[in-house]
Amino acid sequence: MSEQPTVASDAGVGTRPVVDARNISKAFGGVQAVDDVSLAVVPGEIHAVVGENGAGKSTLMRTLSGIIAPDSGQVLVDGVALQPGDTRAALAAGISLVHQELSLVPEMTVAENIVLGSTPTNGGFIDRREQRRIAAEALEEIGVTVDLDELISRLSMALRQFVEIARAVARKPRVLILDEPTATLTPAETDYLLDMLQRLADRGLAILYISHRIPEIFRIGDRITVLRDGQHVDTVDVADTDPDAVVRMMVGRELEATLGEHREADPGEVIVSAKGIRAPGVNGIDLEVRAGEIVGLGGLVGAGRTELVRAILGADPRTDGEVTLTYDGVTHRINSYGAAIRAGFGYIPEERRTDGLALTMSVTDNITLPNRRHLSRGTILERARIKRFAAQLADVVGLRPPDVSREVGQFSGGNQQKVVLAKWLGREPVAIVLDEPTRGVDVGAKAEIHRLVRELADDGKAVLVVSSDLPELLELSDTIHVVRDGRIMGTLDRAEANEAAVMALASGQTAGTSAGSDTTSEVDA
Amino acid sequence: MSQTTSEPTTEPEPQQGLALGAAPGDLLQRLRTAVARRTEGRAVALLTLVVITVAIVEPRALTSYPVTLGRIALIGLVALGLTAVILMGELDLGVASTLAVSGVVMASFESLTVGIIVALLGGLLIGVVNAFFVVIVGINSFIATLGMLFFLRGAAFVISGEQPVRVANADTALQFGRPLVGPLTPRILIFIVVFIALHVFVTRMRVGREFYAVGGNREAAYDAGIPVVRRVFTGFMISGFVSALAGVINAMERTAADPTAGGTVLLASFAAAIIGGVLLNGGRGSIVGALLGAATLGILQVSLTLSGVQVDVQNIIIGSVLLLAVISDPASVRRVMARASTFLSERSKPQPAG
Amino acid sequence: MMTDEPVAETPSPDQAAATTPAAEPGIEERAVTVTEWMADRGIFIFTALLILAAAVFIDGFASLTNITDVFNRAAPIGIVAVGMTFVVISANYLDLSVVAQVATSAVVLIAVSNEYGFVLAILAAIVIALVYGFVNGVAVGVFKANAVIVTLSTTFIGLGLLRWVSGGSIYFGPPDGPVRVFGSTRLGPIPLSMIVLVAMTLLLSFVLNRTTFGFLVKAYGSNREATRLTGANTAMVVIGAFVITALAAMVGGFVLAAFSNTAVSSMSTGFDFRALAAIIVGGTSVFGGRGSVMRTLLGVVFVSVLTNIMVLSGLGFGMQQMAIGLLIVAAVSVDALARKAGTS
Repeated sequence: MSEQPTVASDAGVGTRPVVDARNISKAFGGVQAVDDVSLAVVPGEIHAVVGENGAGKSTLMRTLSGIIAPDSGQVLVDGVALQPGDTRAALAAGISLVHQELSLVPEMTVAENIVLGSTPTNGGFIDRREQRRIAAEALEEIGVTVDLDELISRLSMALRQFVEIARAVARKPRVLILDEPTATLTPAETDYLLDMLQRLADRGLAILYISHRIPEIFRIGDRITVLRDGQHVDTVDVADTDPDAVVRMMVGRELEATLGEHREADPGEVIVSAKGIRAPGVNGIDLEVRAGEIVGLGGLVGAGRTELVRAILGADPRTDGEVTLTYDGVTHRINSYGAAIRAGFGYIPEERRTDGLALTMSVTDNITLPNRRHLSRGTILERARIKRFAAQLADVVGLRPPDVSREVGQFSGGNQQKVVLAKWLGREPVAIVLDEPTRGVDVGAKAEIHRLVRELADDGKAVLVVSSDLPELLELSDTIHVVRDGRIMGTLDRAEANEAAVMALASGQTAGTSAGSDTTSEVDA
Repeated sequence: MSQTTSEPTTEPEPQQGLALGAAPGDLLQRLRTAVARRTEGRAVALLTLVVITVAIVEPRALTSYPVTLGRIALIGLVALGLTAVILMGELDLGVASTLAVSGVVMASFESLTVGIIVALLGGLLIGVVNAFFVVIVGINSFIATLGMLFFLRGAAFVISGEQPVRVANADTALQFGRPLVGPLTPRILIFIVVFIALHVFVTRMRVGREFYAVGGNREAAYDAGIPVVRRVFTGFMISGFVSALAGVINAMERTAADPTAGGTVLLASFAAAIIGGVLLNGGRGSIVGALLGAATLGILQVSLTLSGVQVDVQNIIIGSVLLLAVISDPASVRRVMARASTFLSERSKPQPAG
Repeated sequence: MMTDEPVAETPSPDQAAATTPAAEPGIEERAVTVTEWMADRGIFIFTALLILAAAVFIDGFASLTNITDVFNRAAPIGIVAVGMTFVVISANYLDLSVVAQVATSAVVLIAVSNEYGFVLAILAAIVIALVYGFVNGVAVGVFKANAVIVTLSTTFIGLGLLRWVSGGSIYFGPPDGPVRVFGSTRLGPIPLSMIVLVAMTLLLSFVLNRTTFGFLVKAYGSNREATRLTGANTAMVVIGAFVITALAAMVGGFVLAAFSNTAVSSMSTGFDFRALAAIIVGGTSVFGGRGSVMRTLLGVVFVSVLTNIMVLSGLGFGMQQMAIGLLIVAAVSVDALARKAGTS
C-alpha cells in the first residue's frame, strides 16, 4: 500500500480508503466499457461518479459490487482483494448496492422486504421482533418513518426508493452505492434524500453516488470522478471546480462542434400536433412536428420521454390531451394506437427485443407484420409479393447478411434494429417515432440508421426521435425539446443546441424556458 | 377496492420537509388500512352473500352443519395445498388426479398403515416430479402438471383395474367417518390442522413467507439470496402431499377408492383459491382466503344438493363461479374498464375542424 | 441465459453484448444440437418407426380392417387437433373445453335432427360453437385470463348443461337418416370421415399459412406486444383462434356421431389430451409462435397408431392415458430443452 490517495474534505474524513478499485478494465463484445479506471473511496466521503450515457459508470459500480467480474484489475476492501464477480463476498465485505430498478416484493411488508434473504429466524419461525428491530433501526438510520407493516404495493414510488435504501443500510455496509436514486423522485423528495445521504456520510459511511444531475452532486458531493467513454477523465474536489467545468469534462469532445453533416432542413406544414398530453409520468406537454423536420426529445433516463411518445401514439392510455395527424388536407384524430397506425404513424419502440420484433419469426415475417394488409389480396397473403417486398426493404436498410428467411433472433443488434426500421418503412408512414433507435447497435449500423432517418425527413416525413445519446440527438435533430419530470424544460433549435446546453436543461442545472414551476409539486388527478 | 399507491398515509408534502411516514391515525383509519391490506375482500363479500341467501332459501344447509363442514373440508383441503403453489406463481393441475391415485394406492395395501404411508409418500414424490419439470427442465407448470393430470388419472385406472377398490380393513376405515369431537369427524379435524399448519407456515415461517417473494418478484428473490428452486420444490411437495392426504381421507370415509374420484375437486379447489383472492400470477393471496373460498363453495354446494338441484346443474354453477372469478381479477377488470371508457369518450367527443 | 437487464446508460455495452453475440455483425453460426434436431424432425422418424414396428410385431395391425378402424377413430380427434393447433400457436396452451364441445355437437346433431331436421341441427351446432369460441376467446383475449382455467370452467359449464338437458341418455339416429348416410359413405376404401379430416387440415393449413389472420396468430404467439404495436387487434386474434377451435370441434363432433349414428354426453372423453398430444408431438411449440397444421396431422397419426398398438396389446384406457400423459411431458421437455440450447 504505497501511495494512498489522500483527501482533503470538509467532512473531516479519514484518509485510508475503504474501497480501492485499481486499474479496472471490462469489455463487452469488443466494446471497452471500462478502461483502466481506478477509484478510491474513504469513509465519510460522498464520492460522485458522473459521465454521459455509456461512460461506464454502471459497469464500474457493478464490478465493485461483484455483479460483474472485471477483465483485469482488482477491488480492495481495507487492503484485502475481493473475489471478483462474487456478490456475496462483496456484500460480506460491506459493499451494498441500491439497485436502480426496484427489487422489492410488492405483497410483502416494509419490514419483511428490508430483511429479505436474511430473515431472522428462531427454529424456522420468523423472529418478528428481531425483524422489526432491524427494519426500524435501518429506517431510523435514514430518518424515514414508515409503517413497518405496510405493504410495498401500497407505498408511493418515492417511499419504495427509501425502503430500498433502508434495505441496503440494514446490511451494515461500509460503502453504499446508489445508482441514479433520484430518477423517480420529486424535487422535495430529492432534497430529503440528499440530506439523508449527507447525514449517513457524516457518520462515517462511504457513499458512491452516481448521477446525471449536476446540481445534486455539487450539493452533497465531496469529490467527483468523471468518466468518459469508459476512461477515467479526472477526480476533483468539489470545492475546486464548478458545474460548467464538470459538464465540459463529461462531454469532452469538441464542445462547439457542429452537428455532423448538416442537413438542409426545410420544414413544411405541421403534421403531428399533440396538445396537453398527460399520462403517468407525463405532466402536460405540447408538441408539434412539421413535414421534413426531425424533432429530438432529450433528457435523462426516467424523464418521461418514452411515456410521452407512447401516450402520443396511444400505445399506453393517456389521461388527457389531443393528438392529430394532418396531411393531404385531412386531419386525423388519434384516439387509440390502432388509429395512430392506420392514420400513418410508425413506431420504433425502445425495447426492440420485447416490443419491436417477433424474434422467433423470420425477417420476412416481421416485415410483413405491419404491412399485412398491403401485402394481401382480400385476406390472402401474396407470397411472391411478400418475398420481393421484404428483400427490397432489407436492401434499403442494408441488412447484413441479406437473408430475409432467417429468424430475426439470429441477427446482431444493429441488424435487428434495421429490421424494425424496415417494418415501418414499408408502410411509408407520414410520421415516424423512434425511441432510442441505436441503443446497443454497432457503429456501422448506427451510421446507416442515421442516414435512413435523415432520408425519411428529406422525404417530407415528420420524425420524432427520443435519444439518450447526446451526439446522436444533436446530429439528427432540427429542434430539441429537453424533457424533465414529464415536462418540456426547454427547446433548443439547431443553432443553439450543444451537449452542454441539453445537459444543463436535462439535469435541472438551468431553469428552462418553459413555465410551470408553480405546478411542480402538483399531483395529477 | 382499487389499490392506489397514493394512500393518504404516503402522500408526500413537499412544503414542510417530507412527511414520508404515516401517523398511526385514529382507530377507524387504522382499521381501514388493515382491511385494505387484506386480499380476502371478495371472498368475505361472497361468503356473506351466500350465507344470507342460504339462510333464507335453504336454512338446512346451515343447521345440518356437520354435512356442510365435511363438504368444506373436502373442497378446502386440496385448495389449501394448491394455494401454496399458486402463491409462487405456479400451478398444479394434477391435484385431483393425485387425490384419485393416492386413494387407490392406499386401498390396494393389506395394511391400512402401510397404505397410508405409501400413499402420502407418493404425494410427495408427485410434487418432486412436478417441480423437477417446472424448475429444472423449464416447462411451464400448466403444461407439466397437465401431463401429470392425465398420467396420474391413467395410473389410478391401471392400479385399480378400472373399478373401485375396497379398503381391506373396512372396519377401521369406517371408524374414520364417525365424529370424534362433537360433530367433528377426523376429516374435519385434519382439515383444521392442515389449515392452521399452512397458515402458520406462510405467515410465520421463513420458508413459507419466502413463497410470496418467489411469486411476487422472482428476480428480487434470486438477488436476495433466496433459494428459489428449493422453494418451488417445497411448494409442489406440499400440494402433492395435501392432495394425497385428501385422497386417503376420501377412501377411508367411503371404505373404497374410486379411480374416478375427485372429478369436480379440480374445478372446486381452483375456484376456492381464486375466489379467496389468491392471484394466479403469484405473490398475492392467503390461506385464510382459500378457506373462505372453500366455505363459500361448500355451503353453496350443500344447499344446492339439499334443494334437490342435480349434480350437473351444480357443476354449471361452480364452473360459472370460477369463470367469473378468473375474469374479475381486479387488474384485468381495471384494464377492460379503462379501455371501455376511452372508447366511449372517443365516441362522444366531436371532431375538430380540420 | 442472456436476459436483457434494463440499464440506464445507452448504448449500454452490456446490451450490446447481449444483442451482439458474435464480435462482427452477422449471423452467429451455431451447430444444431441433437435435441433441436429431434424437436424439429424427430416426429417423422418416430412415426415411421412406430408404424414399422407395429406392422412387424403386433398381430392384426397391418390388416385392412384394423387400419380402417385406426383412421375412423383418428378422424374426429384429428379434426379437433388441427383446429386446436391455432390456440396452441397463439401461446394459450390449449382448449380443454373441446371435450364438452365435441359431445355437445354430436348430441345436437342427432337429437335435433331427429326432432327438427338436419339443417336446423347443423345451424344449432354452429351457433353453439360460436358461443363457445366467443366466451373462451373473450375471457382469454380481452380479460387476459388464463386459458387453462377459463376452458376448465367452460368444460364444466358445457358438460353440465349437456348432461342436464340430455339427461345423459344415448341418442340414436334413424338407420336411413342423413347422419347415417354420411357415416357410411365411402369413396372406394376411404371413409368420408378421413376425407373430412384431410379437407379440414388443408383448409386450416391454408388459413394458418396464407391468410393475414393465420399470420397474426403466429405473430401473436411469438410476441404479443410486438404484434399489438404493429396495430393489430390482438383480442380478435385470440377470439378467432378459439372460434376456429370451436368450429373444428363441432365438425369433429359430427364425424364422431356419424361414425356410430349415436351420440351421448360422455363420448368425447380423452379428446382434450389426445388432441394436445397430437399437436405437441407434431412439433407445434407450447411456447407459442411456431407450429403447423400439417404436422399436427402427422401427430394425430402417431398418437392414433400408438393408441391402436396399446389396444391391440390389450392395454386398457388407464395405460393409454398414462402413456399419452408421459408423451406430452416428454415432447414438451424436448421442446423446452431445445429452446434452452438455442438461446444460450
